[in-house]
Amino acid sequence: MPEWLLKEEQYEPIPDRDSFIDKSILSLLGILSRIRAQSGIPSGKHFVHAPFKVACTFLLVILLSLSKSLFFILTINVALLAATSLLPADKIFHILKAGFAAALFTLVILLPSAFWGNRYGIVMLPLKVFAAVTAVNILSRTTQWRHITGALKTFFLPDIFIFVLDITIRYIFMLGEFSLPMLYALKLRSVGKNNRKYASLSGITGTMFIKSKEMAEEMNAAMECRGFTGEYRKSGRIRMNWADAGYLLVHILALLIFLYLG
Amino acid sequence: MHIPDNYLSPATCAVMGAAMLPAWTVSINKLKKEVSRAKMPLLGIGASFSFLMMMFNVPLPGGTTGHAVGGTLLAILLGPYAACISVSVALLIQALFFGDGGLLSFGANCFNMAFVLPFVGYFLYKFIKDHTEGKKGEYIGIIIGSYAGLNAAALCTAIEFGIQPLLFKNAAGQALYCPYPLSVSIPAMMIPHLVVAGIVEALFTVAIFTFIKKVSPGTIYEGKKEKNKAVYGLLAALICLTPLGLLATGTAWGEWSAEEIQAVPASSGQPLGFIPEGMLNGINFEAAMPDYSIAGLPPYAGYILSAVAGVAILMIVFKIIQNVKSKNNKEIQ
Repeated sequence: MPEWLLKEEQYEPIPDRDSFIDKSILSLLGILSRIRAQSGIPSGKHFVHAPFKVACTFLLVILLSLSKSLFFILTINVALLAATSLLPADKIFHILKAGFAAALFTLVILLPSAFWGNRYGIVMLPLKVFAAVTAVNILSRTTQWRHITGALKTFFLPDIFIFVLDITIRYIFMLGEFSLPMLYALKLRSVGKNNRKYASLSGITGTMFIKSKEMAEEMNAAMECRGFTGEYRKSGRIRMNWADAGYLLVHILALLIFLYLG
Repeated sequence: MHIPDNYLSPATCAVMGAAMLPAWTVSINKLKKEVSRAKMPLLGIGASFSFLMMMFNVPLPGGTTGHAVGGTLLAILLGPYAACISVSVALLIQALFFGDGGLLSFGANCFNMAFVLPFVGYFLYKFIKDHTEGKKGEYIGIIIGSYAGLNAAALCTAIEFGIQPLLFKNAAGQALYCPYPLSVSIPAMMIPHLVVAGIVEALFTVAIFTFIKKVSPGTIYEGKKEKNKAVYGLLAALICLTPLGLLATGTAWGEWSAEEIQAVPASSGQPLGFIPEGMLNGINFEAAMPDYSIAGLPPYAGYILSAVAGVAILMIVFKIIQNVKSKNNKEIQ
């Protein structure tokens, strides 16, 4: 047996900082799992239709922004909390986390102005921000994204816009899955101190861009083969169901409270 | 730089949205002329690229990380019109699906990040590249373009924040939306962008551009050479904006401190000569509630509201506890 095989290894890798790779991996994984999760959302005859949801959420955000009444803002906040409480626990957790993070950030930002005497903003704005963020998050966590894109078509958005939006969501997923292994590879190959990691990051992003160009060409060819003309048709008209009616009623009530309180 | 809802007034949001309409229309028309139909999917894939680029964290001095926006890079790679549409779509997805940036403030966010950023960045890059010889000019153009583009966008954001307290106040004179005037919002936005974010953006842009140019030189957008008029227009606009920056250094009108207010000329032309009583006594936190329109509501409205809130919060707490418990049980098994 050669002598060097019997010698005990004394190699200890020099510690290196690579938290930026970890962070990039985590944020990419977060996006991917978020896109995956939304395709499992149930939909059908007995659920509220997406166009109503999009329109009402938009209405709610406008009312919140216009309102000067603390009571109205509180009512909406409570109603949104009640709606959140009906969802499964993991969704509740994510929705509340986003809402609280945004509200807390606003609160911190506004603290100095409160010391200058602006007592209106310090109470109203964080509550408004919490409600608006929660409303949008409830929409995006309880509706399949393709239904939201479909709803935009009902609001007469140009086809080219819907086309681009549709491709974007799909390819965020595809490109994300494509670039994740590159980040893993960079992490695995950086044993000990690797000073060239930073240069590799631009390589990964650059490769992502070149890959996206290739994907675009392939996709166009595939679409042409299937006879896509660039037009989207909405299949069938929406039939109102009980869920829709109840959902609309709640929002009409919110509108009435807003008109009463200002 | 994503402005959430309720920081800007709905009126400002509407104005910014209206300002974006011509930008979107011109971009789409330009694209239809320049880009063949075969390249249309590239817009969507460019948008996903710009969305994902913001997920890449770059190490910053001091152990923290930050991310680049990449608006100028996208404009250099795909052309400014394609960048405008792609970034707009990426912003819409962030607002609608990820809750990042507001729905109402979508127009304002697009104006800053999908219009000002790529166009300022691209035309500065183009101007410098066309007026210098060799490779050096191109790289200097990229650095200056991406640095200036990001900072121009940050300046626009700061101005949008800063005009809120001037325009939108309640009866008591308190700001309804973002409370900070230009004298606060401009330095607060500009200092971090000038010192850190702009440099990160410039370095990232140059590094990726160099890589793509080396690996796949054919994929970079080649614009026409005569773009000078647009650059001069842009520079003129920026020069017009600089007084706003100057305004930020002095005390803005209406924001005097208690000492300064004595010297402010009153309507007769004489200095005011006294300090308003309310300012001397400082801030009264006691009087917070009367500002809100709670008065005039029947008392049971408050009870109902707190009852519903209580039930909702209890349900949320129970569900989360249950979820944690069932997870623990699974791990034990």
